[in-house]
Amino acid sequence: MSQRWVELRRREMASLLQPERVLYLVHGEKKIRSPLSQLYFCRYCSELRSLECVSHEVDSHYCPSCLENMPSAEAKLKKNRCANCFDCPCCMHTLSTRATNIPAPLPDDPTKTAMKKAYYLACGFCRWTSRDVGMADKSVASGGWQEPENPHTQRINKLIEYYQQLAQREKLERDRKKLARRRPFMPLAFSEKYGLGTRLQRTRPGAPITSLAGLSLKEGEDQKEINIEPAQALDEVEPLPEDCYTRPINLPEGTTLRQRLLQPDFQPAGASQLHPKHKHLLIKRSLRCRKCEHNLSKPEFNPTSIKFKIQLVAVSYIPEVRIMSIPNLRFQKESQVLLTLTNPVENITHVTLVACEEGDPEDINSTAKVMVPIKELVLAGKDAAAEYDELAEPQDFQDDPDVVAFRKSNKIGFFIKVVPQREGLGDVTVSFKIRHDFRNLAAPIRPSEEGDASTEAIWLTHHVELNLGPLAP
Amino acid sequence: INEMSDKQSGQKSAKIAAGAVVCVESEIKGDVTIGARTVVHPKARIIAEAGPIIIGEGNLIEEQAVIINSYPENITPDSEGVEPKPMTIGVNNVFEVGCMSQALKIGDNNVIESKANLGRNVILTSGCIIGACCQVNTCEVIPENTVIYGSGCQRRVQTERPQPQTLQLDFLMKILPNYHHLKKTVKTTSGATPAKI
Repeated sequence: MSQRWVELRRREMASLLQPERVLYLVHGEKKIRSPLSQLYFCRYCSELRSLECVSHEVDSHYCPSCLENMPSAEAKLKKNRCANCFDCPCCMHTLSTRATNIPAPLPDDPTKTAMKKAYYLACGFCRWTSRDVGMADKSVASGGWQEPENPHTQRINKLIEYYQQLAQREKLERDRKKLARRRPFMPLAFSEKYGLGTRLQRTRPGAPITSLAGLSLKEGEDQKEINIEPAQALDEVEPLPEDCYTRPINLPEGTTLRQRLLQPDFQPAGASQLHPKHKHLLIKRSLRCRKCEHNLSKPEFNPTSIKFKIQLVAVSYIPEVRIMSIPNLRFQKESQVLLTLTNPVENITHVTLVACEEGDPEDINSTAKVMVPIKELVLAGKDAAAEYDELAEPQDFQDDPDVVAFRKSNKIGFFIKVVPQREGLGDVTVSFKIRHDFRNLAAPIRPSEEGDASTEAIWLTHHVELNLGPLAP
Repeated sequence: INEMSDKQSGQKSAKIAAGAVVCVESEIKGDVTIGARTVVHPKARIIAEAGPIIIGEGNLIEEQAVIINSYPENITPDSEGVEPKPMTIGVNNVFEVGCMSQALKIGDNNVIESKANLGRNVILTSGCIIGACCQVNTCEVIPENTVIYGSGCQRRVQTERPQPQTLQLDFLMKILPNYHHLKKTVKTTSGATPAKI
């Protein structure tokens, strides 16, 4: 009995730590509410940024199973696929190469047989093997496996060439119309053919997109005219087989829609024609603030390293609010909710909480009235060596026991009073504004007068929304 | 206590054929017959409550695997008219770590992967692979060479049956006696009552 109670309590506590319970509002082109762990903080603009108000740039390509780095040009050539690794066509897991010994006649002496190694691909999850589709065992461990050739490749390549030429021609005509005077040539960027996508082109929406350095050379040349035959429409379609409606379906024989669509070249209907495809590459991306063009997140180049060269995440700059415990909430009855506030920086932070006023345009989701502590809360700095330092005196903060429940290094627990205003189903949500001081270490150190602190504190305000769960039954 | 329960249910203790390697730390209760070349790891549990269990040759039963011939849920052990049904397990099966099997009939060359769960009404034919953490408690006969995998227990048919683990069995039969005491085996022809360690 007590074990079950412990389990239920543990699950309840774990659900309070779910990131979606506490949302911070980001002011950008779109107002986005998102947990602090998924936000970034631009310390040059001193604002929160979400994934939607930063620009994403591809840093490098790598294979998720062999962790091999690939330069972008090579990745583009190989259609973003790894050369060595394969995916199981049945369950999309990574295939591993297995070896068996088979007796094979020696090349010198056909009468004697020696054990030779034969390699085949096998999936550890669904037990698919390359022998299931009839692929012969190879004598080399890697590099022997080929994807089947698409019968329409030639036609597709010809079509692509023709349309590329057409697009270039159209772009030149468009540029000539818009171009008033000569502009310096811009560096080559990806996806320049269709004129969209990169930051350099996007930041100047009104200006014309200048020609590429490469293109201007071709203006004088006569380009080879590529002609394609138009596709021919057929009147007759292959009829369905006669036993289409009467034949019993053999489920293991057919492919699922997902398996079929992962092979767009062939889209086989039978499981015996599912060939493995090369593994798709993943990218490492860096994020850049759109307003000040500073990097917010830049990962390391090495695929095996998970660290970052630049990591301006919000949790390391903004104090984080978390829900610690919620009592039974009843309609129009005041209850006390215990929250914690954690200080991520090393200096003392002063935090003031302000309830949202009536008619606040940011306050659209709250379903309860909240009374926040009026006094300013002081948070101690994060001291990594605090637990080892026995001689340190505990800092005396003079906490009001009605407001502050406990204090532990850089974290405090405090109470807010909540009065739910809406009855029935639906979660109780409250929102308030949190105002804290922020010392900008990134600002350039100006030659200032003596005695003036080079790091001035600025006050930042964030709008926070909490989801306190349903009313008590 | 063991003798009294034996007399009540009329069951004898385990019959382990010569050549089988059954560790002392495994728990074998009830009327269990284990064939030759079968390896039972320590902490495996083979419990024959509602009938005898007959295990064939060349099987590999790993740690914390549970093979149990239990009463169906709605029948109490003392009710009348309950026929003890024997559970038969064929040759060359592999019961991986932590799996639980209550299936009454298991054929040959099957692999029941870790933490898989087989209900009482499932009948495994040959060459089936029940994937890790898959629960199969339908009332059906699983066709040959079926692979059940994934969180949704998806199925597919493979073209060849899984190979018997002869290398592993040979290795274990050499190594396990170096580190564990084994339960005494009987010669099946003599029919003498076995003495358990």
